[in-house]
Amino acid sequence: MSAQEKQNFAKRLDLRGLMCPEPVLRTKRVLDGKPEGAIEVLVDTDINVMNLTRLANSLGLFLESEEREDGYQVVISSTESGSPTSPASQSRPEHNHGDAPGSKSAKTVSNQAEGTNTHTKTNMVLFIAKDTFGEGDRDFSVNLINVFLQTVLQAGHKPQAILLANTGVRLMDPDSSVSKVLNEFKEAGTDVFACGLCVEFYGLKDKIAKEQITNMYAICEYLFSADKIISP
Amino acid sequence: MRVLCGNHDADKMTTSNHESSRKLTANVKAAGCAAKISSLALKQLLSSLPRQNCPQLLTSLDNFEDAAVYKITEDIAIIETVDFFPPVVDDPFLFGRIAAVNALSDVYAMGGNPVIALNILCFPTCDYPLEVVEEILKGGHAACAEAAVTIAGGHSIQGPEPVYGLAVTGFINPRSILTNGGAQEGDVLLTTKPLGTGVMLLGLKGDSLLEAESKQLLASLTLLNKGALEIAKKYQPSAATDITGFGLIGHTTEMALASGLSAYLYMDKMPFFAGAVRLAGQGFVPAGAYGNRNTFGPSVINLKHIDIAVQDLLFDPQTSGGLMFALKEEPAMRLLKELIDSGLTASIVGGFQLGEPGAIEVRK
Repeated sequence: MSAQEKQNFAKRLDLRGLMCPEPVLRTKRVLDGKPEGAIEVLVDTDINVMNLTRLANSLGLFLESEEREDGYQVVISSTESGSPTSPASQSRPEHNHGDAPGSKSAKTVSNQAEGTNTHTKTNMVLFIAKDTFGEGDRDFSVNLINVFLQTVLQAGHKPQAILLANTGVRLMDPDSSVSKVLNEFKEAGTDVFACGLCVEFYGLKDKIAKEQITNMYAICEYLFSADKIISP
Repeated sequence: MRVLCGNHDADKMTTSNHESSRKLTANVKAAGCAAKISSLALKQLLSSLPRQNCPQLLTSLDNFEDAAVYKITEDIAIIETVDFFPPVVDDPFLFGRIAAVNALSDVYAMGGNPVIALNILCFPTCDYPLEVVEEILKGGHAACAEAAVTIAGGHSIQGPEPVYGLAVTGFINPRSILTNGGAQEGDVLLTTKPLGTGVMLLGLKGDSLLEAESKQLLASLTLLNKGALEIAKKYQPSAATDITGFGLIGHTTEMALASGLSAYLYMDKMPFFAGAVRLAGQGFVPAGAYGNRNTFGPSVINLKHIDIAVQDLLFDPQTSGGLMFALKEEPAMRLLKELIDSGLTASIVGGFQLGEPGAIEVRK
C-alpha cells in the first residue's frame, strides 16, 4: 500500500480490540453507506480478516489484507485496488477456499465473481406468487420461470431472498423441475422461503423442508426492507 | 456498585460502546460451545496425563464420549457429565436455560436419564446487579424442572467473565449405552435440530436477525433433547452423540473414527437455521468454526466444491445442539417421520461407509 493511496481512503476504521461480531458489523455499516472509494480497516486477528473477506464477497467488493506488527490492515473497495497486483493473486476468488488470510504477511485479493464485478449491491428480493412466468400454455410457462431463475443466477445477480407464495410454493416441491435452481440459489447464500399457509393449502407440507417455510410476518419483513422487489 | 469495584479490563474493552457494557454478552470473547478448547489442543492435554485403570468405567477418553459411565451392577450404571460456558444471549434467564439444556444434553446423547444436577457459577458480581445471577439460576432451574431433574446444590465463585452450567448425574442400563463407536457400514446419519447456532448467535449479538429467525434460534436452543431421545430409543440406533462445540463435521468425524468407518454428508439436506447461510456469507463466523476447520478440514473430501458459507456452517460450533443418531436406513425413515410429526426439525444428513476411518466425503 503506497503512501499516496493511504490519503485516498474514503474512511478509516480502527477496530482493534473489538470482539466478534463488532468488526464485521461496523465495517458493514460503513459499506452499506456506499462510501466513495476504498476504506481501510484495522483489526487484530486473522479471524477478523477472514470474516471481513466474507463480508466483502457478499457485497461484491474487493478486499486486500496485509499482516503488520500491530495487527492487520484490510482495504475494501468496489474496484480492484490501484496498486498493481500480480494476475495470479487476482484470479482466485475467495469462495473456493477458507484458509487463513494468506501465509504470514501475504497479500490476498479476492472478489466473488470470476473477474467481474457486476453484482448488484442493492438489497434485492424476488417475490414469486405463482408457479408460472406470465399466463399462457401451462408447461411452457413453468419452463419459462425455470429459465428466468437460471438466467438470474448465471448473470451473477444475488437476491437477498426468494420468497414463494400461493402456487409459487409448488416450485419448491422436490419433484418440480424448478427446485434445482432454487437449491442453487440457497447454496449461493440466498434465503429461499415458502409461505407456510400456502404450503399447507397446496398439501406440500411433507415435501418442503421445515426450515424453508416461513410466515407472512417474515415475508413482510423481507419485502419492506428490500431496496428492490422483482416479481416475474 | 460498579464504582466500588474499581476499574476492570472488561470496562476498558467497551469504552467506545458504553451501551453494550451492561449487556451480558458484551465482554464475552467466545460464546457458548464456541468457547470450547480446540480438539487438537484437548487431545494433546489429555495425552500428557497418566492413564488410570478402572474396570467399572465403561467409557474411554479415547472415543471422545459425551459423558462418563460407571458400572454399579449388571443393570445399573451412573452417567456423569459437566458442561458450562459464558453467556450466549443477553437475557440472563434465557442464558441459564440454554446452559442447563446444553449440559443435560450430554446425558441424553449417551442414552441416559439425568436425575440430579449441581450448579456451576462464576460471576463478576461487581459488574452486574445480583438479580442477574438470580435470573440465570432461575433459568437453569426451569430447564431442570422440565427435564424432571433436581438441582441438589452447586458452587459459585467470583470471576471476570460470567460462566454458568451444570454437573449432571443420571442412570443408564450398561447394556443400552449409546456411544460414538457403534455406527455400522450402511447406517444413515440423522440429526434432530437445525444447524448453525454459532453463526446465528453472532448474528443475534449483532442485532442482524429477523424476528422469525431469532424465534427459531431461541426455540431450538431451549429445547431439551429428552423428547428426541425417547422417540429414537424405540428404533435402536447403533450410535449417538450430540452436536456441540466441534460442529457437525467434528462430531461426525469422531463418530466415524470411533466406529472405524468413513462418513458422507449430503449438502442439499443440511437443516441450517433460516438466515444462517446469509449471515455466514456476511462474515458472522465464530472463531471456533475456524478452529474446527483447522482440526477437521484436512480429512474432508470435496470440501472446496461447496459454497464457503455452507462450509463455515459445517464447522460451526453448536451450542445446545441436537442429537445425532446412526441407524439403518429403513428404521431411520420411520424415525425421521415420527420426529418430524412430534414437531422436531429432524433430517437425514448423511451416512457411513467403508473407507479411511474418520474421513468425511461432502456430497452435493
